[in-house]
Amino acid sequence: MGMGKRIIAVVGGLLLLASLTAGCTRETGGGGAARTVLKVGWSSEPDTLNPITTWSSEGQEVLQLIYDKLMQYDTSLKAEPGLAKTWEYSPDGLDITYNLQSGVTWHDGEPFTSADVKFTIDMIKEQNFGEYAQWLVDMTSVEAPDDSTVVLKFSKPQAFNPGLAIPILPEHIWTGMDKLAIRKFANDTPIGTGPFKFGEWSRGETVTLERNPDWSGTQPAVQRIVFVLYGNEDVMAQALRAGDVDILTEVPPTIFDGLTDVENVKAVSLPSFSFHHIGFNVSASPDSRGNPLLLDPVVRQALNYAIDRNQLVELALAGYGQPGSVLVPPALGTWQLQIPADQQMNANPDAAKQLLDGAGYKDTNSDGVLESPDGEPLEFRLIAIESTTVDVRAAELFRDAAAVVGIKLDLQTMDENTLGNTVYNTTDPDWDIFVWGWDSGVADPDYMLGIVLCSQIDGNNDVFYCDKEYDALYAEQATTIDEAARKSIVDEMQQMFYDSGTYIVMWYQDKLQAYRTDTWQGWAEIPGGMVYNFTRDNYLQITSAA
Amino acid sequence: MFRASYLARKGAQLALTLFAVITFNFLLFRVLPGDPIRLIARAGHLSADEMEQLRATFGLDRPLVVQYGYYLRSLFHGDFGFSITYRRPVADILAERMVNTAILLGAATVLIVFLGVGVGVIAAARRGSKLDSSSVVTALLFWSLPTFWMGMLLVFLLGVWLHAFPISGITTPGAVYTSTLDRWSDIASHIVLPTITLALVDIGQFVLITRSSLIDVLTEDFILTAKAKGLSRRAVIWKHGVRNALLPVITASALYISLVVGGAIQVETVFSWPGMGRLVYDAVLRRDYPILESCFLIFAVAVILANLASDLMYQVLDPRVREA
Repeated sequence: MGMGKRIIAVVGGLLLLASLTAGCTRETGGGGAARTVLKVGWSSEPDTLNPITTWSSEGQEVLQLIYDKLMQYDTSLKAEPGLAKTWEYSPDGLDITYNLQSGVTWHDGEPFTSADVKFTIDMIKEQNFGEYAQWLVDMTSVEAPDDSTVVLKFSKPQAFNPGLAIPILPEHIWTGMDKLAIRKFANDTPIGTGPFKFGEWSRGETVTLERNPDWSGTQPAVQRIVFVLYGNEDVMAQALRAGDVDILTEVPPTIFDGLTDVENVKAVSLPSFSFHHIGFNVSASPDSRGNPLLLDPVVRQALNYAIDRNQLVELALAGYGQPGSVLVPPALGTWQLQIPADQQMNANPDAAKQLLDGAGYKDTNSDGVLESPDGEPLEFRLIAIESTTVDVRAAELFRDAAAVVGIKLDLQTMDENTLGNTVYNTTDPDWDIFVWGWDSGVADPDYMLGIVLCSQIDGNNDVFYCDKEYDALYAEQATTIDEAARKSIVDEMQQMFYDSGTYIVMWYQDKLQAYRTDTWQGWAEIPGGMVYNFTRDNYLQITSAA
Repeated sequence: MFRASYLARKGAQLALTLFAVITFNFLLFRVLPGDPIRLIARAGHLSADEMEQLRATFGLDRPLVVQYGYYLRSLFHGDFGFSITYRRPVADILAERMVNTAILLGAATVLIVFLGVGVGVIAAARRGSKLDSSSVVTALLFWSLPTFWMGMLLVFLLGVWLHAFPISGITTPGAVYTSTLDRWSDIASHIVLPTITLALVDIGQFVLITRSSLIDVLTEDFILTAKAKGLSRRAVIWKHGVRNALLPVITASALYISLVVGGAIQVETVFSWPGMGRLVYDAVLRRDYPILESCFLIFAVAVILANLASDLMYQVLDPRVREA
């Protein structure tokens, strides 16, 4: 009897003790005169700190602060000097000469020279490291005539300057490793030339970076950045409310609404470089097990007309996005082709029915589903990723819209890995239609345009679209330096692909982020987000709000 | 105490079970549709070439039998493999996560067993009273509530509203510690909420097992004798009753520890606790075979060892059960 009371007393005592210690404020360098620590909350952590092998956005986010590139993106997503003070193209446009900053040192004290740049570029080209090697495809050689000059020579002019994409690695650390060794290299203490040094990575918890006092640029006000991992987005939002973190990299739409009217918190919705789309299996291979009726452009165009993208944004995305059309997202500014609303294949079920009727698709057995002239019903399989709730919702709306024009869609959801493997089965793809999305790899239309090339079948091409003319235009725009001339080619490509109806770009979703207004100030709200973007300048420009 | 032949037999059974588990685990994950490289390629914007090479690096292009052979061989050498997602030795990843899971589960198990047994004893001693029925109902109620929901409730009640405890992680991010004690008290304050969540949800089993076992024992003749001898109520219940009623509780504890080694994934998700549960969940989604194989091997070993331990302990505690 007394035992019970004793147990309760002991447990209660422990709880009391724990709560007392919890109440103690812990010294975190956040308060005081001027703030020095920036805390960023995210719901996923980097996979590795090896810039060559990382594939996570989190890894990229941390590494872009540790490593410099030859050129960086500024807050208007234009090129600004990085490790290269200036750069110029030769008169024939085939060579790019970079004049490097002087007096730059690596985080371990070793001096930085052009040899490091030559080493990095040679390594990537030789070892053909996927993400970066694609920008060096036309490179013939890289030379370092002296310690502060690097010359990249190409066989064709390059519209996209690779200096914007490639992080420069220290030769004295990376030398001597073959491809396998690099792939397995954990790079646990990354050494770069960037504004922040690596502090520590407490796996499953935090990544800490410390300001680099010897950085070649202006010293940022932030002295330490701590990236905090949350297993749960509700708790993450709570942490922002409580002031445990200063900014969140991504806020799901359901939580975003709750943050819009919280004191001292600003929730921001910005255009992103991403879209979600519906893709059709247009593989012409005889082994393809996709429905051959999708090879008829009329069917695809009819489905384009059947759906109302504005409605998708309202219902599936809760309004946080723009209705989709072409491959290039509006965040890329003038690069996006503006197709007038009345010329878009959108929200016009009557036009869809007319198209199908005119091509000979009739409902011969009155079951509500059209049949082809050969008697094949217009019935297709539709797959979506079950954990991406916006896609599942959009798939349901699409299915309903297709039914109105006489096309039956059978929806099945699956996990991302299974969907990826189903779609990218290049031998005998066994699917018809999917719902998925893309994020651009660089702040340039080249990336999105390059997804649907013939050469990308077995690579990024998720619909097996293959048009030689399109490929030829792609090669041309990649080597056209004059912006106006390049733009007209890029426009032509967008129109061509749009007309084929192979993608239904449903929406360009907004990047939803939130930050505290009472801790750090000076956040530039730019397309792509304040953080988690191609530019790192926000980290360098913010100042303490205290 | 135990015959050599008995131990040898048990050992052989253990080895055979382990082997079966290893093989089954190996096949289980590779049968799942999907492969780890495809998603890495899309997210990391890799080329087809690069993907083929990645596949080769991890031996995924070889026939299944060959992969199995390599897996057995490295396991024999104590090599748990190389994670495809994190590009680190799996052993390192597991070591970090296991410590975190162990801390959480250690605290939770101690709380659950002591509190559960305590409440169960009280309920049995006062069988039929309001205290008894309310304890049982409360325990059942908590047992039926979803762990995730329970966790979120505690987050908002104790973490946000009362601001009494931190709601995520194992330490305060960016904290600067003045001493080891300071660090341990930080961890202690972070353990509270997840431990309470686990305790509330899992305590039901121990309450009910203890209660029914003790009720059974209290009806035995020797209890009557003890009472007749004039022993105090406390002595009767604790010295004679509980000691004999604990056997099922020991089995339940051993099983509980072994099952929860898997990491209380829901609690880890709610409280952002960097443990095994979350690791396994992410690994399944990403088809990270090396991590999955190693984790499930560890879980299997834990369950097998726990069973063995409870078997042996039972024999030590209850002479009637010893092998003749």
